[in-house]
Amino acid sequence: MNQSRVGLLVAAALMAMPLAAAAQPKAAQPAQPAAKGDSKEINLDEGAEGQEAPAGDQTGTEPAGDAPVEETPGGEGEGLGDICKIDPSACPSINMEEAAKRPINAEMYAVQQIYALRYHRVELTPYFGITMNDQFVAHPSPGLSINWYITNVMAIGVNGNFYLGLNSPSNFNFQTSRAARVGVPITEYAWNANANFTYVPAYGKFAGFSDFIFHWDFYVLGGVGAIATRPIAVVDPDNRTFSYKPRLSFHAGGGVRIFFNRWFAVVAELSDYIFFDELENPSIAEGRDANNRPNAQNPSTWLAPETELTNNVQAQVGFSVFLPFSWEYRLPK
Amino acid sequence: MRRFVNSLCASQLRKGMVAAVLGLAALASSAEAEAQEIQLTGPLAGAPAVRGMRLHRAGRIDVALGSTFTLLDEYQRNIIPGLRLTYHPTDWFGVGVWGGFSFRSTTSLTDELQAKAIDARACPADPTTTDNTACKLTAVNLTRGNLAEDQLGRIVWMAAPQITFVPFRGKLALFSAAFIDTDISFFLGPAVIGLQERKPCGKDNNDQTTTPCSGSFELENRIAFAPTVGIGWNFYPTTFLGFGAEYRAMPFAWNSSGFDNAGAGNNEAFPDTAVNYKDRQFRVNSMVTVNISVQLPIKIKTTE
Repeated sequence: MNQSRVGLLVAAALMAMPLAAAAQPKAAQPAQPAAKGDSKEINLDEGAEGQEAPAGDQTGTEPAGDAPVEETPGGEGEGLGDICKIDPSACPSINMEEAAKRPINAEMYAVQQIYALRYHRVELTPYFGITMNDQFVAHPSPGLSINWYITNVMAIGVNGNFYLGLNSPSNFNFQTSRAARVGVPITEYAWNANANFTYVPAYGKFAGFSDFIFHWDFYVLGGVGAIATRPIAVVDPDNRTFSYKPRLSFHAGGGVRIFFNRWFAVVAELSDYIFFDELENPSIAEGRDANNRPNAQNPSTWLAPETELTNNVQAQVGFSVFLPFSWEYRLPK
Repeated sequence: MRRFVNSLCASQLRKGMVAAVLGLAALASSAEAEAQEIQLTGPLAGAPAVRGMRLHRAGRIDVALGSTFTLLDEYQRNIIPGLRLTYHPTDWFGVGVWGGFSFRSTTSLTDELQAKAIDARACPADPTTTDNTACKLTAVNLTRGNLAEDQLGRIVWMAAPQITFVPFRGKLALFSAAFIDTDISFFLGPAVIGLQERKPCGKDNNDQTTTPCSGSFELENRIAFAPTVGIGWNFYPTTFLGFGAEYRAMPFAWNSSGFDNAGAGNNEAFPDTAVNYKDRQFRVNSMVTVNISVQLPIKIKTTE
């Protein structure tokens, strides 16, 4: 019974969340007719403020006192005409040509009112990554990214990948080793963790089939962290075993986020985890030490003398959940 | 009715299913409500999704000059300068052709094999004249000369008639300062690929015995056919100039190494001292293209 209640509560929560997430501004109330005595003064000749109104025959627009209403400039409705009938001296004059030449400094945006604001929201992104540049060992990994947006376009966060038990040497690795009689040094990973800085330089919207609109953004990120790796013994597996060691790593990447609603998005990211990796020594030490132990069993001889700069490029696909689910716009845009 | 409810709630599993169905229904219904908010009750009710849209493709020929870079290369990277011509009878559909010629550079794996497995071993051309085990065992698979020139498979050229769909049109704000039209296109078609692969040896493609592989390291031409499919992301800073990037997959089987990997044993998964069609391996052959495009005629149409 408890499960049923929990299930219903979850259903209720799911029902409530998207409603809150809509976050549409309240519908504008229909304009109320102005009360008598509460009328607002409108200066229809703003461009000539502080100047005397030009004479009617100079502008060619102001009608004479008894001019027919139809000739009232800009007289689309009968309001102006009525004013001119009642009090010709109050009849407004507008030089349409001059008015049209006035500079307009309207602030317009290509994407009016950003669909999903990120400012001061937390973004949780579970994802799955696959290796893009290692033909010898695949390093698939589930991962999690957490970001907090300082501004609408900048965030700080952390992410991590879990590789342990998922590394798998490829068939290509086996075939190359067999055909050429060479051992290719390969490594496997256990985990990595990074502190990141994210920037969202671009956002936009797409019209799908000219019928519906969806919003997306593009982001880049960079960070620093650690990755735990170890060589897989290929050259001398009888004597060599390696343990995982964390190493300094750098993280650079970029991705695209497509919003399904204001708090849920699908994310595709390409990330490069850059680090100096230790590889297995392709040579096997010969001879014996003072204790008559084979040098090949001495762990100090197992690693190659030099580290190698490694780029672990991953394609990561997941989804983002933004918290809190809703917000209110404080600006008209 | 009460009995029905009791029966329904009898199983814990069913309770969970009911809750899950309710949850999914709630999700589905709320998503629908959001769409209705705009279409039925908003001030834009009945209005098209986009007004005044510039039709960058409709009735125009798109000429794109680009360069294609192959991905996940094992032995050789290909850089393929090429051209794409597409005529778009409508803004969302086009017919065209894409193609290019390849320039290559070796990967670090090829360089390592050349240095360590060929040059350092210095195996004699006749493997029967050496006691070196590695030389004997690699006699079929490794040339004694230049690996890239003698045996590595290569893409020489490729051409693909293709149809293009452009379902997504949009605009992009860059740094909230620069605005640009953009679209996403999908394309597919048949591709023709000019290849050079290691010439069959040991047994030819008809399983007839031919020159032993230890003495045969040369390439021959082959034409391969494959489907090609991909996605493009295009930007239009002006009414007649654009740029973009494409991802293209061209899956087909070929022998990129020139090795004898298959032909004997269970499922022919073991070497048979012959190099032929059995040693071809299926690959997706992923590649990325960057291009600059011109849309002709220069004058552009706009929707209402």
